Amino acid sequence: MENIIQNLLNGALMGCIYALIALGLSIVFGVMNVVNFAHGEFVMLSMYFTFAAGAYWVLDAVTTPLITFPLLFLFGWLTYYLLIDRTLRYRYVTQIAVTVGLAILLRAIAQMIWQAQPRALPYSMIQGNIQIGGINILTSRLIAAAVSVVAIFLVYLFLMKTWPGRAIRAASDDLDAASLAGVNYRQTYALSFGLGTALTALAGGLLMTFQQVDPTMGLRFGLLSWCVLALAGLGSVPGLLISGVIVGGAEALAMSVWDPRSRLLAVYLIFILVLWLRPRGLFGRK
Amino acid sequence: MPPEPILQISGLTKRFGNLIAVNDVSVRLEPGTIVGLIGPNGAGKTTLFNAITGLHTPDAGRVLFKGTDITGMLSHKICKLGMSRTFQVVKAFSILTVEDTVRVGAYNRHGEKEIQAKVDEVIAFCELEDFRRQKCGDLSLALLRRVELARAVATEPELLLLDEAGAGLTGTELDGLMAILTRLNREKGVTLCVVEHVMKMVMGLCQRIVVLDAGEVIAEGTPAEISDNPKVIEAYLGKRAVR
Amino acid sequence: MNTKQRTIKMLPLLVGLVVALIVPLIVGKNQYNMVLVTTVLFYGVLATAWNIIGGMAGQLDLAAWAYLGLGAFTSGTLLLRWNVTPWLGMILGGLVAAGFAALVGYPLFRFGVKEVWYALSSAALVEVLRVAFLMWDEVGGPVERYLPFHRASWYHMRFASYVPYYYIVLGLLLIALFVNYRISRSKLGYYLLALGESEDAAEVIGVDARACKLKALMIYAFIVGATGAVYACLFGFIHPSFFNTAQSTEVAILGIIGGMGIVYGPLLAAIILVSGREFMRANLGSSLESLYLAIYAVVLIVIALFRPQGIAPLFRKAYDWLLSRVVGERYAA
Repeated sequence: MENIIQNLLNGALMGCIYALIALGLSIVFGVMNVVNFAHGEFVMLSMYFTFAAGAYWVLDAVTTPLITFPLLFLFGWLTYYLLIDRTLRYRYVTQIAVTVGLAILLRAIAQMIWQAQPRALPYSMIQGNIQIGGINILTSRLIAAAVSVVAIFLVYLFLMKTWPGRAIRAASDDLDAASLAGVNYRQTYALSFGLGTALTALAGGLLMTFQQVDPTMGLRFGLLSWCVLALAGLGSVPGLLISGVIVGGAEALAMSVWDPRSRLLAVYLIFILVLWLRPRGLFGRK
Repeated sequence: MPPEPILQISGLTKRFGNLIAVNDVSVRLEPGTIVGLIGPNGAGKTTLFNAITGLHTPDAGRVLFKGTDITGMLSHKICKLGMSRTFQVVKAFSILTVEDTVRVGAYNRHGEKEIQAKVDEVIAFCELEDFRRQKCGDLSLALLRRVELARAVATEPELLLLDEAGAGLTGTELDGLMAILTRLNREKGVTLCVVEHVMKMVMGLCQRIVVLDAGEVIAEGTPAEISDNPKVIEAYLGKRAVR
Repeated sequence: MNTKQRTIKMLPLLVGLVVALIVPLIVGKNQYNMVLVTTVLFYGVLATAWNIIGGMAGQLDLAAWAYLGLGAFTSGTLLLRWNVTPWLGMILGGLVAAGFAALVGYPLFRFGVKEVWYALSSAALVEVLRVAFLMWDEVGGPVERYLPFHRASWYHMRFASYVPYYYIVLGLLLIALFVNYRISRSKLGYYLLALGESEDAAEVIGVDARACKLKALMIYAFIVGATGAVYACLFGFIHPSFFNTAQSTEVAILGIIGGMGIVYGPLLAAIILVSGREFMRANLGSSLESLYLAIYAVVLIVIALFRPQGIAPLFRKAYDWLLSRVVGERYAA
């Protein structure tokens, strides 16, 4: 029983990071209606950048977002102008083709530089255990989840209270009206895409404190973040957090009470059921 | 005793969240007539069409088509019964040619053997001969509206709902369209219900006009009665008199 | 005149068929080249089948390898347990895949799951099946289940050479092309193209969108499932890794890049891109691992960005130009 609670808690903590990743996707999809199939690969890339910074410059994984965040923002910003901007005119199918191409490219680059075997950082300052009764929680997971929640809250504030944030939301509500009101959609889109991408830098850094990375990882994170988004629906930031926790919890529950191999099964079954029964998501407004 | 109506809408209501787009609307269409449905933007005309043709499920009320209850029925079944429509925002099959677009409609009542004859007939009827091999994606708006009409005509409807078929057309294009619609009504006996902003078309074509405002029917009558109705002038013509 | 025009239209197909038939005679000695051409044809079958649901009906299905895996496991298990010939296994595998497609597709279309959400749920389906077969110890499990070895047995569809497999896959390709062609000239084909453009507009002129999509999905799943039976024999084992999301996505990408809804488009894309990729893999693979994938990805991106209609129209133009040069303007289609 304690074992199950411990796993559930761990899953819920992991879910906070999923929510952070899904937030980036939600900004891109919700605002620009751009279907990004490379989002998971952005997470993978961030994890490798974190690994590189940790391995070559002996930086702690927790601190690497200071470098990778601007780096990934720039990367997302460039990706927008080089690729995404040109796909807006076409059907979503073209966007999928382009972003899948990008995903394959990133996977190939990761494989060329870091090879196929998993990589991990040996040390992080937030390693350790916390004991509560019979329950054992990794400090790194706890802190990673806490940082994710804070980051989600900050992004929420940014979207609600600041001028660029409002521009992003205005563009998501009604592009034509927003451009009439003087919002330059290109800049706003590039900003959104950059921000959405940069958030994966934070997630990548946090994940690397207790996880390893390999080139196929992007696929899993991509699908997971779409699951969280589908569950939450568009337009609700707190909903994302709850959905992330549900997905993480479901994963952990399936692992501990059913079969360790079934973790993804549980997530995808939830995903498919949500799409069937509640296409707006649990908290969506459209 | 009046003839049995081809379409009878009673108490139809459609809400989107808190917004009531169509509120308790009741309308009767007599077979063989041309009826206009007018009203300012946002009056609920398109929503009403969507609710009739099965694209929206109404929250309350009933739609009877030729005596059959079609409330909440799927669009393609309603089409089989003999009702089709066009769209305000043109929904063209841009990768199909004009001929093939009409063919999609014609399959509604015809098998592979007679299909080509039917397609040829409809294309001739709608005066699209010169464009039959062109892709819909390459056509002008006026032609697209004509193609959309043609594919609906090809399904051999008894009742055709036209959602702003005249919008964005020049004077000559409008005259051509009106001529086709008149022939459709006289020769094939198709009942027409037109949502329209273009007054020339409404006044020139329709025998009866229904006026919607804010989701409710505010007036009904002949074109002459409608243009004298003070409620209509206030709600509709008053604001739009400047053209 | 008319028959002449038709001949001219069919000419590339005939030339292609002759070339395809004699390829093994030229490269048959070299096993590696045989793998390459078989792989190309194999992707050609999948992408051509995908054209029915993806290209025509506009449903971006990313579950090709789910149906492929189902076919492979059905036929492979039948062969292993009851010594059922894969020729029958092909049909049964196709039926299982199509039946599964109906089970999944009905609620998807009933509840109006569309566009990106349809794509994602189909991608998730592949993963669900992979894990399910990993956990299902009676049929799947983590260990490869090897099919009986035979140097050359038509009954078991097992050969030491790739040449017979090549011809079997070629046969499947011809069937897939033929089915595609027939559908594109029928009521179903016009209905699919119409609803792929606008479901609402198709519905109001009498198209039962759900039923048509379901039919398209089942036909596609059947062809892919039957191909899966051959795939299992070709590799000589069955394994849950057959349910592969990345490769499923690739099938869809080939379909998109070839030209949505054009019968020969996906095949063209498969021939050019897959052979290019496999060629690069062979020649660059050793010096820098995965470089070929990176180049492949860049090519995909460039085509998708600059030829959103696909590469098939380009070939059409080139062929018309060639014709006008060789036989004069009036025969150019």
